[in-house]
Formats: sequence, structure tokens, C-alpha cells
Amino acid sequence: MIEVVETGRWTTIQDRGRPGLERFGISSGGATDWFAAVVANRIVGNHQDAALLECTAGGPTLRFDSDAVIAVTGGHSAGVANWQAVPSARGSSLIVGRIAPGLRTYIAVRGGIDVPLVLGSRSFSQRGSFGGGFGRPLAKGDGLAVGRMAELEPMATPWPESHRLPARGPWEVRVIAGPQQDAFSADALPRLGATACRVTPEIDRMGLRMETPGLRLQAKEILTVPMTAGAIQVTPSGGLIVLHVDHQSTGGYPVIATVIGADLSLLAQARPGDTVRFRSVDLAEAARAWRRLTGWLELNQ
Amino acid sequence: MWQIAPAGDQALLVTVGRAIDPTLLGEILALDQALADSRPTGLISTVPAYASLLCHYDPEATDPARLEASIRRLEGQLEGSVPFGAVVDIPTRYDGPDLADVALQTNLAPAGVVAAHAGREYLVYCVGFAPGFTYCGALPDQLAVPRLASPRLRVSAGSIGIAGRQTGIYAVESPGGWNLIGRTALRLFDPAADPPARFRPGDRLRFVPTS
Repeated sequence: MIEVVETGRWTTIQDRGRPGLERFGISSGGATDWFAAVVANRIVGNHQDAALLECTAGGPTLRFDSDAVIAVTGGHSAGVANWQAVPSARGSSLIVGRIAPGLRTYIAVRGGIDVPLVLGSRSFSQRGSFGGGFGRPLAKGDGLAVGRMAELEPMATPWPESHRLPARGPWEVRVIAGPQQDAFSADALPRLGATACRVTPEIDRMGLRMETPGLRLQAKEILTVPMTAGAIQVTPSGGLIVLHVDHQSTGGYPVIATVIGADLSLLAQARPGDTVRFRSVDLAEAARAWRRLTGWLELNQ
Repeated sequence: MWQIAPAGDQALLVTVGRAIDPTLLGEILALDQALADSRPTGLISTVPAYASLLCHYDPEATDPARLEASIRRLEGQLEGSVPFGAVVDIPTRYDGPDLADVALQTNLAPAGVVAAHAGREYLVYCVGFAPGFTYCGALPDQLAVPRLASPRLRVSAGSIGIAGRQTGIYAVESPGGWNLIGRTALRLFDPAADPPARFRPGDRLRFVPTS
């Protein structure tokens, strides 16, 4: 058992999410920085579907009542060695503390966090308030059982630095134009690409609100359409809402461009005040970016 | 002509129109069914809404051009009508916090708003936004009012709202910008149920006033 001594700012149980249920209004959810989460599980030798903890801005304090092996990845925690397997002796505590650079830290425990599957996943869903063991973020005093989802030995050496994503902004985030590109003037996307967008404090697992200093995009509402994580919605006031994994499954603001799957991990680590530049790429470049990350994962099998 | 556009690098969005129209919904549902039957390589799941269908694919199993070609082959081949199903009654208490305001905006008495809202059958066009949220149309013209200027942070499950030519039922507590005119005790979302949402696009329902 692992005891939650302090919760941190917003700590939830996540896994790879529950894709395929959007037609019921349920977004896929799962870890926002999917890459860091997959790596954390790999380091401790877990199956890729094992559940772990996602911490935001400030992490929890955990007490282990039996020996464990953990890995901390994603946004940097000063409280422990990051990106490597760390033994945690019975009776010891892990203090994640403040997260920086980056915003979200993952804590994988060898065996995985054992909570019931809800709709095929252990992830906490913010919109539906279900899953994640408690149907809410972790609270002080919660006890977390360790599961039996270890399948490989823990990695003996730290995850290679050359196989990690940038830890801090300014961020360059690659996008595919559309799907509602025709709701905008022809120069709108190039002008967005030339703008240093600013992340506001309004960030959660559903999405990030951003400002576009010096640029006022024009957009009208559209007939409700399905939405994806990474969709850059333009609101009638000209602001941006970039949807993330717990996004609304449908929406009525036009989407000027969509962040590629590989770069959703970068957005998960963007902090309020960071600048983001959206760079328009084609599908071939997006496929290469995806292959690069999956290639890193294969190299470290 | 169907518009098929990338929605990022792992989904395609098929758009067949831009109106709340039973014929367009029928076309989308027929396309959805045809793809479920033919299962093109790499297609993972689909999401229907009004006049569009989102197709999630595995970029390692297919490429978007190939998937687009499989979808295009179905254009013009589908029978585009909504299957006729039973009409489900939604017992409704018309005591929403915005009922009086909607009455003012529409020059009706509150009882007139209720009569106009309850007096017809609706088609479910989409389940989306939040888990189980049920979008229905079309609302009579005389009830068309804009969304609230400032959305509520919390709308409770079972609330029934209107906005534009749409009416909808909140299935879980969520933020919301629609004008709330009533509520139902029916449970529309249950993560332990299969399927987890009570309604799906193409279903028909009507609101039945209760006291």
C-alpha cells in the first residue's frame, strides 16, 4: 500500500485512457504527456497499460509501506532522481514537491497503481468524475494498492537524455491545418504561425487557453462537430482554446489547426506565461515525428 | 460533395453539410454503419455529430490518403434516412432558472414556453460535449434564444436547456451556457452501463411535463 500524505496541487491516476468512447461524449483522457507516462512505465518494467500518478505544478508526498521501485518522469521534481528506476524502501517517503521546469510529473510504481477499470481504463475522467479509483483527484489519506502489471525488469540505467523531449519553453508545436480552415481567411494560419502565443493560467486536462498578442483572429461559431485532442479552437472573441486529452468530445468553435500527436506531450508541459509557436507541417512530417518518438521507445525495450 | 479534411495526424473529419437536418444526420449514420461493416484497415473508431463524422485511425496501420479513398468510395452509395425508432418520453419538471427569462425574450408566458417545448418530437443529433450530453433538434423557431452571455460554472445532471434551434439534456454536472428551462430525473449517463449513454444519434424523444 502507498499512503497519500500530501496530495500536491492536482494529482490523478491515469493510464493510456479510454479511446473509442467519444460517441458517448467521453473523451479518451489518459496521461496528458503520453510520452513521459509511457517512459515511466517502461523504466519500472510495467505493462504499457499500467496506471500511474499524474501530478500537476506541485506533486504529492507518498509513504510506502512495502518495498517498491518507482520512476519519476516528465516535468522535473527536485525531490528524487528523475528518469530512472529508484528503489523505495518500506517505510520511506517520496516528496515530489514543486515541479519545474515543466508542469506535469509522472510517478510510476513497479506493478502499477491497482484501481478498478471503469469503461476499460483506470484513468480519472475530469468531465465525468469517474475512474481513477476515487472518481476524483487524490485526497490526503488515500491508500493506493500496487498491482501486478510488471512484465519486464526495471531499466538498469537512466532513460537516455537524447531520447527525452524538451523540458521547457518557448515551445515550438507542430500543427496540421484545419479541419475548419475554410472558416478563416487565407492568411489566418500563416499569421498565427508568426505569432508568439502566450499560455494563460487557465490550463487543465481539458485544454489550454492562449492569447495571441498582436493578432485578432476572426471566427464565427459553426455547427457542432466532433473534436480531437490538439484542436486549436478560435473563440468569437479571437482567443484560442487548445483542447487536450479530457477535451469536450464535440464543439462549435471552428478549429484553425490541430496539434500533431507527437507534440501533445509538449503542450502538457507548458506553463502559464510560456510562449508557444505553432508551426504548420504536412502529414509526412507529422508521421516522421510520431515515428521518432515510437522509435525511441522501441530502442529502449 | 463530402468534405474530408485531416483533424490532426490521427483522424479525418468527414463533413456532409452545415445544417441541422434529418437528411444529413441520416447520411452520417449510414456512413457510420457502412464503415462499421466494411472496417477499413487502420480505422479505430468513429464519432458522429449532426452532419459530420470523425474517423480516428492508427497512423502506423494506414495512411490518411488510403483511408480517405475507402470513405470516398461510399459517397453516393448510401441510403440516407434516419431509421424510425420508438419515441422515448422524458418526464420533465419545467422549473428551470431561465424559464422566466426565456418567456420574456420570446414574448410568451412561461406556460407558452412549456407548451412549445413539450409539444413536439425531437431527433437526437449528437451525444457529445460532456459524457451523455444529448443534443436534440429542432426547436421551434419561436423558442430560439441565444446562449447565456456568461456560462454557468455548474449545471446539474438532468438539466434541460435550449440554445438557438437546439435543446439538450445535461447528463453529468458540467459547466454550461444554455438557458435552463427544466429538469428530468432520468439518468442519461452511467459509466457502469453498456452502452454508458442512454441515447444515441437517430433516437427520438419528447418532453412530457410533470408537476
